[in-house]
Amino acid sequence: MATLELMSISKSFGSAKVLHDISLAIRDKEFVVFVGPSGCGKSTLLRIIAGLEEATSGQIMIGGEDVSTAHPVDRGISMVFQSYALYPHLSVYENIAFPLRVQKMEKAELDTRVQQAASILQLTDKLQLKPGQLSGGQRQRVAIGRSIVRNPKVFLFDEPLSNLDAALRGDMRVELSQLHRSLDATMVYVTHDQVEAMTMADRIVVLNGGHVEQFGTPMELYHHPRTKFVASFIGQPNMNLIPATVSAADATGVKVTLTGGHEMVLPVEGGRVAKGDKVEVGIRPEHVQIGDGGFPISVNVLERLGGVSITYGTLGDGVRFCASLPGDAAVEEGQPLALTVSPEDCHVFDASGDVLRRMSAPAIAANG
Amino acid sequence: MMDKYTKLQMTGIYAAVTVFLIFILLPFFEMFMASLRPLEHLFRSPYQFWSDDFSFQAYRDMWDTVPLLGRYIINSVFIASAVTGLTMIFVVPAAYAYARLNFPFKNGSLAIFLGVNMFTGAVLLIPLYRVLRSMGLLNTYWAMIVPGVAFLIPQGIWLLRSYLEKIPRELEEAAFVDGASRLYTLRRVVLPLATPGLIVVGTAVFIGAYAQQFLFAITFNQQRELQPLPAGLFEFIGYQDVTWNQMMAAALTGILPVMVIFLFLQKYLVAGLTAGAVKE
Repeated sequence: MATLELMSISKSFGSAKVLHDISLAIRDKEFVVFVGPSGCGKSTLLRIIAGLEEATSGQIMIGGEDVSTAHPVDRGISMVFQSYALYPHLSVYENIAFPLRVQKMEKAELDTRVQQAASILQLTDKLQLKPGQLSGGQRQRVAIGRSIVRNPKVFLFDEPLSNLDAALRGDMRVELSQLHRSLDATMVYVTHDQVEAMTMADRIVVLNGGHVEQFGTPMELYHHPRTKFVASFIGQPNMNLIPATVSAADATGVKVTLTGGHEMVLPVEGGRVAKGDKVEVGIRPEHVQIGDGGFPISVNVLERLGGVSITYGTLGDGVRFCASLPGDAAVEEGQPLALTVSPEDCHVFDASGDVLRRMSAPAIAANG
Repeated sequence: MMDKYTKLQMTGIYAAVTVFLIFILLPFFEMFMASLRPLEHLFRSPYQFWSDDFSFQAYRDMWDTVPLLGRYIINSVFIASAVTGLTMIFVVPAAYAYARLNFPFKNGSLAIFLGVNMFTGAVLLIPLYRVLRSMGLLNTYWAMIVPGVAFLIPQGIWLLRSYLEKIPRELEEAAFVDGASRLYTLRRVVLPLATPGLIVVGTAVFIGAYAQQFLFAITFNQQRELQPLPAGLFEFIGYQDVTWNQMMAAALTGILPVMVIFLFLQKYLVAGLTAGAVKE
């Protein structure tokens, strides 16, 4: 019912250009997450969709209608703010009812709607309290309640979980995913936390410096990052990037020499590089195993988390390398460690940071 | 906590506070003492701090000496209230605009307001007199209200603007996204949250209006029935003598209603002046 289309949105503040020609098509009932480092323009983009900022150029279509200059209410959006933006002098009931009061909705209908929202969010027994008397998670739910009473077509969330502590954030992630399923609405969610993006999103937009780096499903971004930026942003711990030199390349693979001298043949589309080119090989920490015949690292710091052991070390010539090994791995700080990785799991980025697409990847990474 | 003072320091602090309070309150105290003495004992030499002929006679007599005294007190409160009300009507939207909107010459006009504040009314009495005369406002309540409002608006805008700026912008954005107009947001969100600030500004304006009405009353108004208390007190100065004790009694009586109100508003005043100073 409510698709959201951005057509070449650009935004400048004075001479500073913060968004460059952004085009996205978000499907009906999709949960899309904008993720990126601070200052990448993700919040500005959300505010433009909300109608709080005006785009310098470009068009916004919601449900097929051009709403580029429409008032937020006429766009059919509602927004949950980072600070919740609850009215401290009004009760929870009046906070949730606020958008309906603005519409001068008739009392009985208003009450039904507020009660309905409250019961979805388990706030029924909190309705008479003031926001100051609620916990962080409850305030968050009131803010969501205020956004759902109006039955908007598109929900916008601006880093709604960043003020919560880690445990609560995990719970709210699950609640938000359930809410998305029960409301069946289009949602756009801004965060700088890639875990929130990976766990909740149907599709993720990775923004960097006002550009869309990649738009795809979480697994697509994980297995087929289009750029070095996406590769290192998605995944925890971050992907290792090891400088390498191409010693041979054709359409079916690239032979590289890693810094330190280890040679590998990687099954990626090698058409764009030639012998002697400098590239970077990306290896995810979780794809590394202990074993001979690979490259040795010296272990500096070992973090045993129980299920996994995160190992931070350096390659022969000082390049940092992180490996995520089994919880009981026989590793010791200060000791050398031999690691291997299967060539299919490696990513290769050319000098400009663009990926040479991998030939093989799990089926789950297929375009969503 | 912060109270890590030695005994000596505490003594010093209390001594300083005592000196300060005596300095501030002694005139009031002397007013009160004077109002209790019979007139003929006021100038007794040597000065007697305590005497057994204290009485509240002056508080009874003053109503006969100046028959319009009650009227003057009411006028005073009325003029100050009217000035405060009118000033707030202008100050609230103006301060909100200065706090939130962008318009050309915003900082320049704020600076001008501050500049206007630096003039006392006295400098502008003659031009004001001409303005009021040509508008036909001399010898009416308006003659005392209009200049009062004009001189207090800048101060009010400066005070309230800084208070409104502390209200999180996101609250207004949330209201905007939910379809509320600027005025609706102002009425339902901003002003309720700014209540302590409004009380502070209202009080400051009221005090200002109370203090400045004397000047405007004696210059722009000849009508006895319209005079406020400070001007009315002149009537205790007779051809033969000045009934100082009754004048002091009248002055204290006139201040009383205002003082009572401030006692009740005190907690808002303190809360309002420091609100937002510390991150909560």
